[in-house]
Amino acid sequence: MSLSSLRCIRKYNNLVNVHISSAMVSKVLGPCKREVSTSSSQRANVATHNSKPDWNRAVSEAEKIVGYPTSFLSLRWVLSDEIANVALHLRKLVGSNHPLLKTAKNLIYNGKNNMQAWGLIVLLVSKAAGHSPEIPDMEQDKAAGVLHSQRALAEVTEMIRTSHLVHKGLVNMNVSQQFTRDPDDMVFGNKIALLGGDYLLANSCSELANLRNQELVELMSSAVRDLAEAEFLGERDDQNNPLPSRPLSEEQIDPAAEWDCIVEPLPMSGVMGNLPREWAARHVLAAGALLGKSCSAALKLAGHGPALQTQGYLFGCHLALAWQAFLDLESFTGPEPASFSLVGAPLAFTLEARPDLYCYIEAGRRSVHDVDYHALYEAVVSGDGIAKTVELQREQARRARAALGHFRCGDARSALANILSALHHALD
Amino acid sequence: MKVGRKRRTSVFYVCNVVHVLKRFVALVTMACLSSSRLCARVQDKLLCQFGHKVRRQTVFVKLKPPGPSALRIFGKTYQRVTTCGPPCGSTSANAAAGYVRRLASSLQSTNTGSLPDYGTQIVDPYRLLEDDLNGIYEDIRAELEKNTNQSELNTIATYYFDGQGKALRPMVAILMARAVNYHVYGENSALLPSQRHVAMISEMIHSASLIHDDVIDQSDFRRGKPSVNVLWNHKKVAMAGDFILAVASMMIARLRSDEVTLVLSQVVTDLVQGEFMQLGSKETENERFAHYLTKTYRKTASLIANSVKAVALLSGADESTCELAFQYGRNLGLSFQLVDDLLDFVSSAQAMGKPTAADLKLGLATAPVLFACEKYPELNPMIMRRFQEAGDVEKAFELVHKSRGLEQTRFLARKHGAEAARLAAELADSPYQKGLVVTTDLVLNRIK
Repeated sequence: MSLSSLRCIRKYNNLVNVHISSAMVSKVLGPCKREVSTSSSQRANVATHNSKPDWNRAVSEAEKIVGYPTSFLSLRWVLSDEIANVALHLRKLVGSNHPLLKTAKNLIYNGKNNMQAWGLIVLLVSKAAGHSPEIPDMEQDKAAGVLHSQRALAEVTEMIRTSHLVHKGLVNMNVSQQFTRDPDDMVFGNKIALLGGDYLLANSCSELANLRNQELVELMSSAVRDLAEAEFLGERDDQNNPLPSRPLSEEQIDPAAEWDCIVEPLPMSGVMGNLPREWAARHVLAAGALLGKSCSAALKLAGHGPALQTQGYLFGCHLALAWQAFLDLESFTGPEPASFSLVGAPLAFTLEARPDLYCYIEAGRRSVHDVDYHALYEAVVSGDGIAKTVELQREQARRARAALGHFRCGDARSALANILSALHHALD
Repeated sequence: MKVGRKRRTSVFYVCNVVHVLKRFVALVTMACLSSSRLCARVQDKLLCQFGHKVRRQTVFVKLKPPGPSALRIFGKTYQRVTTCGPPCGSTSANAAAGYVRRLASSLQSTNTGSLPDYGTQIVDPYRLLEDDLNGIYEDIRAELEKNTNQSELNTIATYYFDGQGKALRPMVAILMARAVNYHVYGENSALLPSQRHVAMISEMIHSASLIHDDVIDQSDFRRGKPSVNVLWNHKKVAMAGDFILAVASMMIARLRSDEVTLVLSQVVTDLVQGEFMQLGSKETENERFAHYLTKTYRKTASLIANSVKAVALLSGADESTCELAFQYGRNLGLSFQLVDDLLDFVSSAQAMGKPTAADLKLGLATAPVLFACEKYPELNPMIMRRFQEAGDVEKAFELVHKSRGLEQTRFLARKHGAEAARLAAELADSPYQKGLVVTTDLVLNRIK
């Protein structure tokens, strides 16, 4: 495939304007469709008792479909010298409060951090699409129904994501006052985090090179670039924690540019100040791009045409956004949390409706811990931010389903559909 | 001009329109150049005689690429078109900056002005490649800028591409590219755009690693200005490093060569593994030197070795020539780093700038210390505790100077330099091949 077909993808890929017929939705929903109820009294109840088992079941059944799970503990790279080295040094950090420890914990205790299922998604998409008959038997994992190259790609996806999380866990030492207690620990933690992330990134480079597909290397490298860009979007506190930008009125916002490119960087016009769009841009860069590009790349490896590759991208991207909306809602479904994401969708909608609340955000310009979370929580719960987020989540899931409709029926496709519905049920 | 036509066309597919046009013009004009024109230019660029080491070093430092020049593309094309005709006077149409620089350096050199005699005269590689290296930083900055819509990311990522570096890696890569092209296709060969891209990529990978090193080592200054970690949020700096790597990796992919991608991905792996080797010092005394050399290869030499190998691959050279290129780069890189480790000890003795011994302060035992160890075993425990105790750094510094460690380090650097020069001599005789030989000297005799 040459550049011209890549351009094709760009043309087809219309992230913003994907419309689907309701008939298709019901077809895709199929047997998984259930009664939907949005009454808030039930929400908390269902979320605590129902969502987790449902989610876990969906994931573990999906894992069976593609052979074995592709989580962080995929032994091939945990058993390497370098990671052993990192683990050794991590022990020295125990007792310090370097955030790297938290990152490591979250990666190993897969618990609530669902994002580790990304490699799994890539494999499921691979299986759901099948591959062209020209691919020799040697390159197939017959039992799982995916190609060895796709398995390698799934691993690369997880490595890139993990590397990004690890690099995000650095401490900014440029603001001295907070770290007078033990700066050496922080320097050392940063060193390990930086090297550990670099190690994963370097490994993904060579894994990708081994696939001997340069368009794929370009696509996946652009996903790494997007992740880096995500850390620069909008306002930040001293530790680079994201803050929403000041909501602007409609006439103050530039006309929005179409997001119809895959390899080019995401256009930023019309994003800042338009909080729902800012939410989308942020999470397309931080999550959607990687998952979407990985799914698209998996289809490329299987010899599928640009049209299906685009559907793969759309599926991955919308799934990631649906997932993010779901995570954002979690803070508002249980008891009031001590803090929550300031760039979550519920707050974005609330701020859009009530720009006066932005003074609370400004209090967190030095550190997000200075924000009065209680006041913001009250504002979100009393407004329509949650309802709008539920709607957003539905919409993203609907688009993911629509893309899924282009894949052939089978256990992998229903597993993906189940994962999408598991996200839904948590809201009911 | 049959030089990798296929490859060139494939490059055409992936470059955007502007790029294609720019390169096309350059290629067509390059194709117009007659061999006599080439000779004339070479003659013009021969300068300095043996024995003028100090002078040569000045030239070496001064001839780094100039600061931003926005109109480079047009200037360059214009220059090439006009010099297509008469072979002599090729420099007259040069851009003003280049002219002044040339004038300045010709004042310093003793150019005999006679016909070139490669045996007795030295080719200054930076002058030889002036046109190729001109604007390389601008091109890198443009490539980075094209890949982000976040202005702060762009600022951090382009910070070290200000043209103040020595551009050693791109210079060696282009030199090797031209030397191998000459070796394979004779004197009418030209530099492939893809080979120039590899030169850019090598500098980008180098900078990405510098940026991460700055965060790791908490350094304050680099290249005479505050280092990135002083000016920006460390998280953002780390991300900017990742960003440069990602853009470099996209550029590699756009060369559409499986082999080149594999060779250059090895560089990144080596860099990280070298960095990991630097963390631990558990090896025994016997293994220590081998450990140091492997680390040096991975951290420094691998990038040079693999990027010159990549340009040789792109040129379509046979396996043995690619291997020769690789070994040249490896030896040059080792020699370069050994000199670097040496300078860390002597530049303070010469009262040049601040007292250094930066490696010791970072807890690193480099070649001079390891050599000194043979005479002063009391250095062993210091190495094991990474010079952490009070007075360790000063004591080690003193012992190194009392021992023959510096001398032995220089000897080893010379050995690798000589090996690189020997390998370069195996290539077909050309100004570029001479340049490769001269580069080994420049690396050995540099003062910064």
